[in-house]
Formats: sequence, structure tokens, C-alpha cells
Amino acid sequence: MRSEQAVHNKIIFSGTVGAGKSTAIAALSDIVPVATEALISDGATTLKKTTTVAMDYGVLLLDGGEKVMLYGTPGQERFSFMWEILAEGGIGLILLINNAMPDPLNHLEHYLTAFDGFIAKTAVAIGVTHMDRSNSPTLIDYRAKLRVRRRLPPPAVFRVDARERDDVAMVVRALLYTLNPGLIDA
Amino acid sequence: MSQNRSDAAAPISLLLLEVGSMDARLIGLSLERHMRNKVCLTDNMAKAQVVLVDCDRQGAELALRRIPPQQRLGVVGYALNPRECGTKFPTIDILGKPLNLDGLPAALSRAMASPASIPLLPAQPAGAGPLVAEKTKSLGDSIDTDDGAELCGSLEDLPLAPNSQVPDKFFFDPEDYLIGQLFRAVVKSQASGRPLAVAGLHRLIRVSVAPVPLCLTAFRETRLRPISMTQLPLATTRLVLDPGPDDPSAEVAFASEDLLWNVAVWAARGRLPKDTDPYRVVRLKAWPNFTRVFVPPHALRIAALWVRAFASPVDIASRLAIPQRYVFSFYTAAQFAGLLEHDLGAAKKTSPTASAPPPPPPPQQGRRPSLLGRILRKLLNAV
Repeated sequence: MRSEQAVHNKIIFSGTVGAGKSTAIAALSDIVPVATEALISDGATTLKKTTTVAMDYGVLLLDGGEKVMLYGTPGQERFSFMWEILAEGGIGLILLINNAMPDPLNHLEHYLTAFDGFIAKTAVAIGVTHMDRSNSPTLIDYRAKLRVRRRLPPPAVFRVDARERDDVAMVVRALLYTLNPGLIDA
Repeated sequence: MSQNRSDAAAPISLLLLEVGSMDARLIGLSLERHMRNKVCLTDNMAKAQVVLVDCDRQGAELALRRIPPQQRLGVVGYALNPRECGTKFPTIDILGKPLNLDGLPAALSRAMASPASIPLLPAQPAGAGPLVAEKTKSLGDSIDTDDGAELCGSLEDLPLAPNSQVPDKFFFDPEDYLIGQLFRAVVKSQASGRPLAVAGLHRLIRVSVAPVPLCLTAFRETRLRPISMTQLPLATTRLVLDPGPDDPSAEVAFASEDLLWNVAVWAARGRLPKDTDPYRVVRLKAWPNFTRVFVPPHALRIAALWVRAFASPVDIASRLAIPQRYVFSFYTAAQFAGLLEHDLGAAKKTSPTASAPPPPPPPQQGRRPSLLGRILRKLLNAV
């Protein structure tokens, strides 16, 4: 269990291009998210027309006016230098993997490695998106991949529609309980 | 009105008295499917021949007293602990919960033959109108309002360490429920590589294995859930080679693991599959897919704790300070979904907390919730 002191009130959303990070943040945020989208200029153009080039920023407003920031990292590899910087001091990581992209299990591996230090200090919960477009690999395959990494305890891996607030909230709830199973849920 | 059946073939007219909405739904579905010619439900007291009362409900006694004395009705009760309840209602034949439908017609016939003499203690309150059957609420009403009592039952906790044989009421036989047949269909289908189907219900449940394990059915949750909770008479369902969809436009695909979880958690009602040792340690191999499966009370907390280390169901409940029935329901669902890992090498019995993960901090009454707690509250309110 980690100390809740000395952390910034922010949850990090990261993952592959087109996985729905910006959409997920928009689904949860109490403000209109601030996004820095730009026309895609590399090989990701077949997936969508714009992508996040710096970060997405949304806010959860808690009772008493306290804020929890929702930071979305840019998905493109060339912005990977920003990932750890954005994550610094965060509560935990929501990792979204686009199942319709080629080789999503390698993407999972890549992101887990990139955030390895951050996850070791906090926790991660994983949402697999676009499973309606591609139902393989399955969640069972993702779990097997995670077992190979021998990370204990195994993180939550859910099928997620990033447009659905309930889905996104469930992944975040899993992250919170991973950090502290003793949380009271009412 | 005839209080006794003049024609042996006429179905018994049964009124449900002080029966919860979920039970009413289950009983109605079961009678319609399996005993249509033997028993029919009525919500009209004047036409009823027998009443079936849930003796565990607080209003049961009052409801019985309000039956007009001139109306010589047969009365059958059902309760979690029939023996204990028999002292409160000594003149009533009381069946156990969950209701065993195989024994119901005989009990109703006995009750008709000798109408109960209900002790009329206080006079019926002035102005109390004629008795009507409880209005059936929508499915699931009580889950939100009654802390999952209808979903997870109301069994008391077992001792933290095994000191005697665990009573039978803590267990159920999956073969009496849909989960037994569905689990068999998935296992056989995977082993043989052939698509199978569970037949015999209103809709098929088709099981395919390629390219990914799926269950396909036109059942909606509102139908599948009560069927899953009901004891099905032997040979109600059967396994057949998949004949193809019975209603392609209505069919929905579920990951097999997800449907097994749902059907099992609905059957469990706070109990464990028979032959389970509640003191034996297991570990959760992976989180259930909580965005697509039914999430019983405390499920996320249980999952977060149980993926950390081997622990027994009793230990997990103790660690989280929650009633064991919630963990038993979770265990049952996880077992059938294939999410449990058994510690084959270690000692099978453990003393409480011997192998469980470190306990979470206890809730601090009166103090402001932690940041994580406040975020959680925000998400729960928002969902």
C-alpha cells in the first residue's frame, strides 16, 4: 500500500494510437477536456485523422472543490519522451490498448516497459478497446502475456468502450482498489 | 367459491403472500414452465386455495393474521431455516430455501387437505383492506435497496477456523441449476472442438470455441437471471449439437467466461458449490471482466485482495470485514469462470490470516475519506 502523501492528484491515461485515451478522458471529465490534437503526419493516418501531440487534460471535481487531473499522454512513439514526465507524481496508470491495431500484445509489452518504474511505485489497470472490431487477442491472451511478465498481483484487464463512462469509471475503480483494497465503496 | 378441488385435474390456485419480487418472479417462471397443469398463480385471495408465504419476511406473521378467518386456506411457508421457523408457525408446513419445486405440489396438496388454523392474535386493524398479493417490482429492485440480500442471500458467517462440519445450507449442487449444464457444455465443447448447445429452455444457449470461446443466446438478462437462480428439475435441459441460432436477429454473443460468471453468481445466492472447502486457500488468477459481467456487492474489493495472494474465502471476508456470503458468491462465480488457482502444493487448511495478504486499513469512522476514497465516491456517484 502506498502513501497518498507526496503525490499529485492526477491519473495518467496512456496507450496506443486510436485506443481512445482522449475519448475516455472526455467521458469522465467534469470540464470540457483540453486537447492538443493535430493532423497525423506518420503511419498512424489509417487509424484516425488527428492525434494528441502533447497531452489531454480533464478534471474530476471532488467534493469541496478538490481536483483530480486526468492526463492523457500522446500515443505516438515519437512523443514517448513525455510519458514519464507527465506521469511523475501521478496516482496510477490507466493503459488503453487498441485491439484493432496489428500486434496489440506487443504494444502492451511496450507500454508496460515504458512505464515500468511508475507502475512499480503505483499501479496500473488496463482497458482493451475496439474489441468489437477485432475480438482477437482475447482477454485471456492479455492475461497470459501479463503472466509471462511475472508481475504480481496481476493488473485488472477489462474490455472497454472508451465512449462509455461506465466502462472508463470501472477501470479507474479497479485502479483505486488495486492501490488499496480496503477502500470502502459507498 | 370452492376451496377444495372438486376436479383432481384442476390446477391448484396459489397466492404468493409476503414474497419478494425476485422470488415471485422465480416461482412464477418455474411454475409456468414445469407445473402449468398442477399449480397456477393468482393474486385474488377469493380465488386462492393455498397461500405460499415467505416466513423470513418481517410482514409474514401479520399478513397471515389478516387472512379472513372464514376463508379456510391452505398455507405453506418457506424459510431459510425451516426447523427454527416451525416454532414460530407451528401449524404450517414449512419448506426450505431455496424452494425445492419438486416438493412443492405435494406440500400444497397437504395444505389444501388440512387448512391451517392461523392464530388470530390482534384483531385485524380497522380499515385494513382486502389482502392483495405484493405488487411485483421490476427485476433487481431489491439489489440496490437491500444490499444484495436477494442476490447473496442472508446466510450467517462461519467461524474463522474450522471447528465442525459446515452445514449443508452453505452449499448448493450446481447440477440442480443451469450453471451445471452450461459449464458442461463449455468444457465439452472446448475438449471436442465441436459447437454444442444447451437446449430445453425457452431459448438455446449455443457454445462455440473457434475462433474464440463464445456463448450465443437470445436470452435477455431479465430472463436468464431468474432461470439461473431457479432449481431446474432433472432433465429440463440437455446438451445437443449446435443446431444454429433459433433467433439470429436477437442473439447476443458473450465471452464464455463472462456468461459462466453471470450464471454462476446468480445461482450461488451466497453459497458455495458442494464439496468446496471454505477454509482452503485459493488465489484469483485474473480479474473478472467487470465491464461486461454482473458485479455482485464488494466484488472489486474482493478481486483486488484475492489476486495478491492465496487465501481462503473465509479469510478474504475476514480481511475485508464483510459478510462471508459475498465472498462465497464471488468464489462460486470465479470457480466456474475458471479464474481460481488452487494451491496444490501447500497445506490445504490454514488458520485464519496465515497466508492471506496484509489487511487493508480499517475504515476510519468520522474521518474524512482518503483521496482515493473521495475519487471512488465521485466515480460511484457519477456512474
